[in-house]
Amino acid sequence: MSSLTAAGPAKVRGQGVKRSGFLPYLGSKLVAALVSFFVTLVIGFVIFSLMPADPVRTLTRGRPTSEAQLAQIRIQLGLDDPIWERFLTFVGNTLKGELGYSWQFQQSVSSLVADRLGPTLLLMGTAAVLSIALGLWLGIRSGWRHGSLFDRIASSASLTLWSVPTFWLGMILLVTFSVGVGPIPSLLPAGGMSDPSLPQEGWTHVVDVARHLVLPCLTMVLVVFAQYVTVMRTSIIDEMGSPYLLTARAKGLTDDAVRRRHAVPNALLPSVTMIFMHLGVLVSGAITVEAVYSWPGLGYLTYEALKIPDLPLLQGTFIVFSASVIIMNLLADVVYRFLDPRVRAQ
Amino acid sequence: MGTGNPRRRLALAACALSGSLVVGATAFGAASAESATSAASVSAAQETTLRVRMAGSGVDTLNPFLAFFNGAYDIFGSIYPTLNSLDENGKPGPYLAESWTPSEDKLTWTFKLREGLKWSDGKPITAEDAAWTLNLIMTDTVAGTANSSLVANFESVTAPDPATLVIKTKAPQANVVYMSIPISGIPIVPKHVWEPRAKNLKDAKNDTFPVVGYGPWTLTEYKPEQYAKFDANKDFILGRPGFDHMIQQSFKSTDAAVAALRSGQLDYINGVNPTQFKALQTDKSLLTAQEVGNGWTGVEVNHNARTRSGKKIGTGHPALGDPVLRRAISLATDKKTLVTKVLDGMGVVGSGYLPPAWPQWSWKPAAGQETPFDLAQAGKILDDAGYTKGADGVRVDPKSDRPLELRLGIHSDDTADAGISTYLKGWLETIGIKLKIQTLSMSALNSDLAKGDWDLLMDGWTTGPDPTYLLGLQTCATLPKDDGTGGNTDAFFCDEAYDELFKKQLTTFDQDERAKVVAEMQDILYKADVDQIHFYANTLDVARTDTVTGLITGQPDAQGMYPAQTAFWSYLKAAPPAAKPAAASAEEEGGGGRLWVGAGVLLVALVGGGIVLRRRSGAGDRE
Repeated sequence: MSSLTAAGPAKVRGQGVKRSGFLPYLGSKLVAALVSFFVTLVIGFVIFSLMPADPVRTLTRGRPTSEAQLAQIRIQLGLDDPIWERFLTFVGNTLKGELGYSWQFQQSVSSLVADRLGPTLLLMGTAAVLSIALGLWLGIRSGWRHGSLFDRIASSASLTLWSVPTFWLGMILLVTFSVGVGPIPSLLPAGGMSDPSLPQEGWTHVVDVARHLVLPCLTMVLVVFAQYVTVMRTSIIDEMGSPYLLTARAKGLTDDAVRRRHAVPNALLPSVTMIFMHLGVLVSGAITVEAVYSWPGLGYLTYEALKIPDLPLLQGTFIVFSASVIIMNLLADVVYRFLDPRVRAQ
Repeated sequence: MGTGNPRRRLALAACALSGSLVVGATAFGAASAESATSAASVSAAQETTLRVRMAGSGVDTLNPFLAFFNGAYDIFGSIYPTLNSLDENGKPGPYLAESWTPSEDKLTWTFKLREGLKWSDGKPITAEDAAWTLNLIMTDTVAGTANSSLVANFESVTAPDPATLVIKTKAPQANVVYMSIPISGIPIVPKHVWEPRAKNLKDAKNDTFPVVGYGPWTLTEYKPEQYAKFDANKDFILGRPGFDHMIQQSFKSTDAAVAALRSGQLDYINGVNPTQFKALQTDKSLLTAQEVGNGWTGVEVNHNARTRSGKKIGTGHPALGDPVLRRAISLATDKKTLVTKVLDGMGVVGSGYLPPAWPQWSWKPAAGQETPFDLAQAGKILDDAGYTKGADGVRVDPKSDRPLELRLGIHSDDTADAGISTYLKGWLETIGIKLKIQTLSMSALNSDLAKGDWDLLMDGWTTGPDPTYLLGLQTCATLPKDDGTGGNTDAFFCDEAYDELFKKQLTTFDQDERAKVVAEMQDILYKADVDQIHFYANTLDVARTDTVTGLITGQPDAQGMYPAQTAFWSYLKAAPPAAKPAAASAEEEGGGGRLWVGAGVLLVALVGGGIVLRRRSGAGDRE
């Protein structure tokens, strides 16, 4: 471990490390983010446009469609336009903040995304908060007393759950708690976001949505929290031999205070990166969980777009997902500057 | 020390929060679950609700001019009227139209419409509504997006008076009475509602509720990807729905829908898979029923992909142009085993091109004419035709000197395809044909199909009661143009005699005579071995017997298979059971008790777990 880390953030702050200006730093990160976004835009367009597919035939598979009808739909969808023309339209629309018009749902991509953003953030956000809290807590405890029974149980349980396929775990929880197995009765709904037979507003609705949220959220948490346990545990173990902890103990601090005030703040940095990466992909939802629990989220919407493929919808969701990751990375860079003095010193 | 630590409290609180979600849900889950279990049927005001799974495809749009997905047409069938209905034998019956007659020259159809029917907003339904709807589809490009092929042969549609609709066709057309039937036909919309929307039809979402329409149901609420809610139309002309309300709920996986059915969240699922069906057959609280299938699964053979002018395209194996090789593949396919192993026996062995759901068109080869499963015979005819085996056991095409190594494209999301391909690979290798299985998405397969870049392809089609479209896919007109555009074929089949019969069936107004022509066409296809139909999978239905009855109509045949059902009649005829059996009531009450017991056990476990954790952490601090 380097001496910088060993010094701990509180002490470095007092040493008056020479700082580079914040605004130039932010500017350079912003430019990098914009370049990343544009490159992602181009890559997204090229990859999706080159996919071997016949969207019109796939789209119309359920209805009797004549050759003339298929030709007309191709014209309407702009599939007969040259690719460079489609690219310019795509870039132009994106710059204007328009995400295009979905071929299968026959409405604007932004309205489709907006409809599903709330449910996605509700599920993914709740799951993220719980898994971060649970993962960090377990990681800290396990790392601090690594080798203990608590550590062995927490580490092996989290790694086992991490290795479990999400859809499989989802199905098991669904059957166990929705249908009921043995002495366990049917406790929770099998899917959807609300019970259509209940009022869709007010306190009843809130409680109803919470009931529907339990199983998908639990599935997400059980699969995701392990990565926080692992990273946090490793970071804590890395810090444990550091001289600054010895100093802290020598000052007469309790074991708990040493861990909380000195070890954890330093060990948190890798987890901060992971948290921001996690936040970046929140909006992309979780296709498997959404599919198992029929949750109306963005992940499943993307899957539906891919099946046709509905290029405007696919490109639209791709832009939203990319932008989210890029923004969260930018935020992570900015937050890191405040959290980690080494970044300020660069 | 531990107790006063705010951070630990935070951590425990986080842990408890996750637990409390479960516990909380358990507690209020119990109350809601009890109400939900019986909601099938009875709410506070003693009103009944039928809860069914929304069609798996989902709903693309509620705009009936633009929608392509089955889920949308299930809804349109419930909320918009059509000229004709489909009777229980799959033949056109009355709906808006009381009677219909073709003219002597077979070019004019006159429909007499019922009088006195009203849209859900109280305005009268007249022939002008039907004429306006059909004319819009005929003349407006956007309005014709989904259904223009159904009116492509119409010369004009007029409403000389409110009760008379006159359709003139460019050429005689026998299937006009199938053009506007529930679900698979064109829904008629109220002119006074849609005329203002016609100028900007592309943006008409049709999401003002209740949607003005006429049918057994009125759409009162719709949440995309979640559910659609309906109220019954108690004055519906073809019968009053048995339930007061209906909910179609979207379940993205059938497993989840089955869980919902078993836990009392749903009353009916149309289309479970054979494994689920078998598992549910043991549950005595459920009705399990098989209906004969309305589609086929089989393999397409690319025999010399070419354009309309005869220009060869694609990369298909040239030997597939030889009828002997195609026949050998057919001889080497054990369809009975496929039905037994892939469908768990829940299907019918395939032969004719049209599925058994529509018995008036269904065809089988005469006795002795069926292609048997005979590997020895398959090998013999290949030997006789000069396909000798190479050192690696793979035969070589004597004309092109290419080994018989064929690509078989299968759908990545279809478990039946995966099962069939495994068997086919084994059988064909036995007769010296090597199969390379290519798993692709539906869209990628479609893309390859149009270009002719394939050898064998797993395929499947379903059809409504009029077979014209499906039969039309095998006509020469569906081959692509020389520039590669315009194709709508599936196996590049093109046969003059078949094309002649296709035209003939379209102009044969006597439906029995028409059936004979259609049978001849299927005979040609069968002998060509180009679309090798493996089986017709049964549609598998499951319903809760404690909450619904009457969903399945008709009588089962000797094998226990019911006639094909349509959502239109199933939902209309469904009704709550006359009286709830005492046993069911007792079970429900017991279920409620069990819920509380379960909740208690879970609560104790979580609280106990929390205490243990706290003790351990406290002990750790003391160490």
